[in-house]
Amino acid sequence: MTLQEYTASAHNFEECMKCTVCTAYCPVVPVNPLYPGPKQAGPDGERLRLKDPFFFSETLKYCLNCKRCEVACPSDVKVADIIQAARIKYSTSKPKLRDMMLASTDFMGSLARPFAPIVNGVLSLGVTKAVLDGFMEVDRHRKFPKYSFRGFEGWFKRKAASSQAAFEKKVAYFHGCYVNYNFPTLGQDFVKVMNALGYGVELLKDEKCCGVAMIANGMSDKARKNAVSNVQALSEAVSRGLKVLTSSSTCTFTMRDEYPELLGVDNSAVRDSIILATRFIFEELENGVKLEFKPDFKARIAYHTPCHLEKLGWGVFSKGVLKKIPGVELIPLDSACCGIAGTYGFKKENYEASQAIGKPLFDQIEAVAPDFVACDCETCKWQIEMSTPYKVLNPISVLAAALA
Amino acid sequence: MKFDVAIIGGGLAGLTAGLSLQKRGLSTVIISAGQNAMHFSSGAFELLSRTPDGMPVDSPLEDIPLLPGDHPYSKIGLPRLTALIDQVPQLFASAGIKLQGHALRNSFRITPTGTLKRAWLALEDVALLPTVETSVGRKVLLVNLAGYPDFFTSFIAEGLEARGSSVRICSLKLPEMETLRTSPSEMRSVNIARVMDTAWKSVVDGVKLHLRGEDTVILPQVFGLKDESVLSLVRGSIPANVLFVGTMPPSVPGIRAQMKQKAAYENAGGTTLMGDTAVSAVLDGGRVVSLRTRNLGDHPVEAGQFILATGGFFSKGLSSTPSRVYETLFSLDVDYDADRNNWYAYDFFTPQPYLDFGVKTDNSFRAVRDGEAIENLRVIGSILGGAHSFKLGCGGGVAILSALAVAEDLSNELK
Amino acid sequence: MDSKRNEFDVIIIGGGITGAGAARDCAMRGLRVLLVERHDIATGATGRNHGLLHSGARYAVTDRESATECIEENMILRRIAAHCVDETDGLFITLPEDDLSYQARFIESCLAAGIAAEAIDPKDAIRMEPSVNPSLIGAVKVPDGSVDPFRLCAANMLDAKLHGAKVLLYHEVVSFIREGDTILGIEALDHATGLKSKYYASITVNAAGIWGHGIAALAGVNVGMFPAKGSLLIFAHRINSMVINRCRKPANADILVPGDTVCVIGTTSTKIPFEECDGVKVTPDEVDLLISEGAKLAPAIATTRILRAYAGVRPLVSADNDPSGRNISRGIVCLDHEERDGLKGFVTITGGKLMTYRLMDEIVTDTVCRKLGVDKKCTTADEPLPGSEEKSYEQVAKSIWTVPTTVQKASASRMGTRAAEIDLRSNKEQALICECEEVSLGEINAAIDSMEVTNLVDLRRRTRVGMGTCQGELCGCRAAGLLAKATGCTRKAREDLCSFMTERWKGNLPIAWGETLREGEYTQWVYNHVLGL
Repeated sequence: MTLQEYTASAHNFEECMKCTVCTAYCPVVPVNPLYPGPKQAGPDGERLRLKDPFFFSETLKYCLNCKRCEVACPSDVKVADIIQAARIKYSTSKPKLRDMMLASTDFMGSLARPFAPIVNGVLSLGVTKAVLDGFMEVDRHRKFPKYSFRGFEGWFKRKAASSQAAFEKKVAYFHGCYVNYNFPTLGQDFVKVMNALGYGVELLKDEKCCGVAMIANGMSDKARKNAVSNVQALSEAVSRGLKVLTSSSTCTFTMRDEYPELLGVDNSAVRDSIILATRFIFEELENGVKLEFKPDFKARIAYHTPCHLEKLGWGVFSKGVLKKIPGVELIPLDSACCGIAGTYGFKKENYEASQAIGKPLFDQIEAVAPDFVACDCETCKWQIEMSTPYKVLNPISVLAAALA
Repeated sequence: MKFDVAIIGGGLAGLTAGLSLQKRGLSTVIISAGQNAMHFSSGAFELLSRTPDGMPVDSPLEDIPLLPGDHPYSKIGLPRLTALIDQVPQLFASAGIKLQGHALRNSFRITPTGTLKRAWLALEDVALLPTVETSVGRKVLLVNLAGYPDFFTSFIAEGLEARGSSVRICSLKLPEMETLRTSPSEMRSVNIARVMDTAWKSVVDGVKLHLRGEDTVILPQVFGLKDESVLSLVRGSIPANVLFVGTMPPSVPGIRAQMKQKAAYENAGGTTLMGDTAVSAVLDGGRVVSLRTRNLGDHPVEAGQFILATGGFFSKGLSSTPSRVYETLFSLDVDYDADRNNWYAYDFFTPQPYLDFGVKTDNSFRAVRDGEAIENLRVIGSILGGAHSFKLGCGGGVAILSALAVAEDLSNELK
Repeated sequence: MDSKRNEFDVIIIGGGITGAGAARDCAMRGLRVLLVERHDIATGATGRNHGLLHSGARYAVTDRESATECIEENMILRRIAAHCVDETDGLFITLPEDDLSYQARFIESCLAAGIAAEAIDPKDAIRMEPSVNPSLIGAVKVPDGSVDPFRLCAANMLDAKLHGAKVLLYHEVVSFIREGDTILGIEALDHATGLKSKYYASITVNAAGIWGHGIAALAGVNVGMFPAKGSLLIFAHRINSMVINRCRKPANADILVPGDTVCVIGTTSTKIPFEECDGVKVTPDEVDLLISEGAKLAPAIATTRILRAYAGVRPLVSADNDPSGRNISRGIVCLDHEERDGLKGFVTITGGKLMTYRLMDEIVTDTVCRKLGVDKKCTTADEPLPGSEEKSYEQVAKSIWTVPTTVQKASASRMGTRAAEIDLRSNKEQALICECEEVSLGEINAAIDSMEVTNLVDLRRRTRVGMGTCQGELCGCRAAGLLAKATGCTRKAREDLCSFMTERWKGNLPIAWGETLREGEYTQWVYNHVLGL
């Protein structure tokens, strides 16, 4: 009989052996008893929801989608995917105005950027924070990421694009909302590093927000539109033989894995070409490409693996690149969630849980007392910078700073 | 990525091999598809608990010569096995894991259902009796936490009473646990253990209030998830002999030991690919050249030597369909019965034939495919054929000792 | 012996759905009823079938009378047993290898039997039921559904007791008390105590299913039966939300029924000797046949984890010396042994099917009443069973708890309005014992308190504990602990846990490969190694 040869692919949740290891690694369970836990919300709940959608519970919104359950699962159950897919399929709660604003990183960014100095000032005012806290339910303790007056795309067109043409070898760069609206420096560092490796940089014809925050905030339709548009833009670059590099682990993960798994957007033609820059650099260096470093560069770096990078399994590349910088003392932190999970920690109702989740990580950083923390995720950066006295740099920026 | 040795599987065998190899100066990587079986362990390792005839074993080293030639212990040989056994406590101690027990005589673990089970070594918070006659205590206070369903006090009490102890059961209602109890499914050992990092004092106070001259106090194994200091604090604060007895999985002592072993491995320079799975292997001229993993895609994991430590069916080292049993990654030769009817025993509690299926190897644990040994691929741990680990009670020993034997061989070869 | 305590109007032998329903009907008509069952409720064919709420369409072409009975009873059960019934609707599909012309005859026969059968476009069928074989060339929608036989049996038993019936489980009839040509009662062995007791009644009803053959023989009469074994497979989740049948003459493995959290494919049909009726086993050939035929209904069957295999024995009546033959043609066989064999005080009710249990019981209760000279009308078609007073469990849950938790929803879905009787307010009571099926401490304690649970298997039949994908691995030990507490006997609870795990494994073993074998190894590890049982 050839039937029943493989029984796992179509119904992944049936691979769950009820071993409960996911619960041991879920960062939410210890801090929020209203969350049913990954096993119950995921594979167990799925059987009940298939019986009757009445068994869907809105408490699934407490899942951070950090995927640590999936990394821990010995049975390869896509626990968090099951939970997020259930939210998309069954949730009847509409996103609040606040959620829509937090989720629309590109829309908000393009509104705020021209008025960056004013917006930044207003967002840091106590009175604004009180209004946000009381009216919008954005927690008052949060420091808002500053908006940059000149966006990355503008800088690139004015200052960099023309010089990139000189390079024979090219890569495309998916910079993400954060680089464009909040922190163009990282994009500039990326261009510097790529150029040093002998690659010119191109931007995508039309880059949209990867959509991760929209997925998290119940706006999957909008996320799907962005995904379709991005896959098209990525295909255009990939069809010209370009690899598309990223500097954000979350954008990378979202475009590679959440597009097909949660949004049902086929990315098979481009998935393998979407690569976090540190992996690309690691491979270049392993293949014998040499970089010239400052002779006197010294840094004691604590490295934090963001959840989505842990899930990608690529932390080894970021750590590998940092280790290859002369003068770097690298201290890898125990892999743990920082608690921010994108927009999750910004919400007033999640603030306490968010800080409690991150506490072991913050304590560890303080115990290490590094010169700074390195990490590939912008939201982890905000969280760690807000919750510890340490600055957080993307490994690309560390590399750029160390280059001669 | 290039390493001296690539280990597929981050269980007890894979981590032991990895740690041993790193300590011998070799560079290694462990590809681990999720967390390992230590998470469900009893906290004790068996060396040999029964002979092939089913007779109980008191002195494992005396009875190991009774094992058939294809048993992993026989392949290692008694003199070398004895030397490897001597290394084990030291290797674990170097990872910060204290073990009790020894190989000359089996000790007895008090199980979560109150029975006694033979053990070679056990983690420090496992209630272990040196002999079957040893009294647990004349008067025992058996303590559970209110609302915790996975600690079976009535079974344990019955078991202890049958052995001459008088047992009183009490249940502590702690305010610190009330938040956890809000979730109907999350009163599990690990979640309680997190609370106990601070709430242990209330447990101690509660126990003291209930003590009526008992000489022994038994608590569930829900203390010291991250580090064992809580254990000594609890022990030191209760005026009686304190024992910890197991719960339903996940196992708090097991997880702690696994985390320590992994940290020791990484501190020794080892690389872990956690949550990743080797999906295919590239072979050339009878040698394994590289592996492809799901997460790394076209980025190969290259090594000179490879170790397969992927475990049995649960860990997906072996897979089964209605018509066959196969080794998942290399299609190695598997020792199994082709007739599905012969895979099972009708009674759940008699040895199940399918649990004896495993991969064939030569006497140096080289994997065999189509009858030929693959030169640079070794097999260790519970995927090994011939171990009969459920029937003989030797799973922990086979995992640790096959790992150490192979690590020793590889480092000799590579140096 | 206090003879009054042991005197009844009617003794019913058999705790399956027929016996339970007969006890209810008799009790509702005011009779003093005793029901005796040698095991637990629903241990025979009642608990070992599809759980299909037949619309009757399956019999429409071949057996009009059965079809009409089915649709009538179908509509009655929707009313009186709402908490046991899932109104899923069903499809009869025609595949390319089937004769499409059968469809017209099928619809015509359905309509003639009063079954609302409607041909639909295959594309619509795929839209309504995405799991259906997409190569279908025809589809007919019928009012099939599913019914939980354990729940239905337990509810009938409970209602019988509420109407004054006495129920003795684990009591086996060892002999009849006879005076000349009259049965005066029974002698029953109490398996718990090992003691025998005598019970007297004017009429004894043999409702023992296939074992009724042996009961009749014990009474000295012959009921010719045809033990037909049918094997079925349970899949680990609901593949389909509608019942899927093949639109052709009934054959092997041509019905896929969604029930509670799972779905069931069946059946096969093989004649077996009477001595094999206890402990029937599913063979590998039957498993293979069920999978390959089932995959034609819903291709996902080929790639979905199988949870268990089980088999039941249909109590078919082969031939009878009733010269009219009237009883046989109806499927339902009610034998008044006084008329038939000259044996007074003894009646056999057999044949029929789960669907028509109520009608069978109405017929046999009519017979009993006639013989006793009692003139009371049957009301079982009008009075809802306990728990079924409200149709939607969603409404039940909301009316009890306003914003129900998942645990509370699950209880309402299993217990219907009776969920209001259990305490599920506190954290303590809501704590889950069975995580796969979401069975709480409160629900288990309620079952132990009021539903005559003597062991874990009984508990499973009443609560679904251990029926999920882990098959008792997580919950077995927890539930055993609760039972030990309730009975005060830990040694027995320990033995019971072992037999429970063996009972679970027995159903896994015929299909233990892939994920089920993985789970098997894990469960072995936990129970044999870690727990040291």
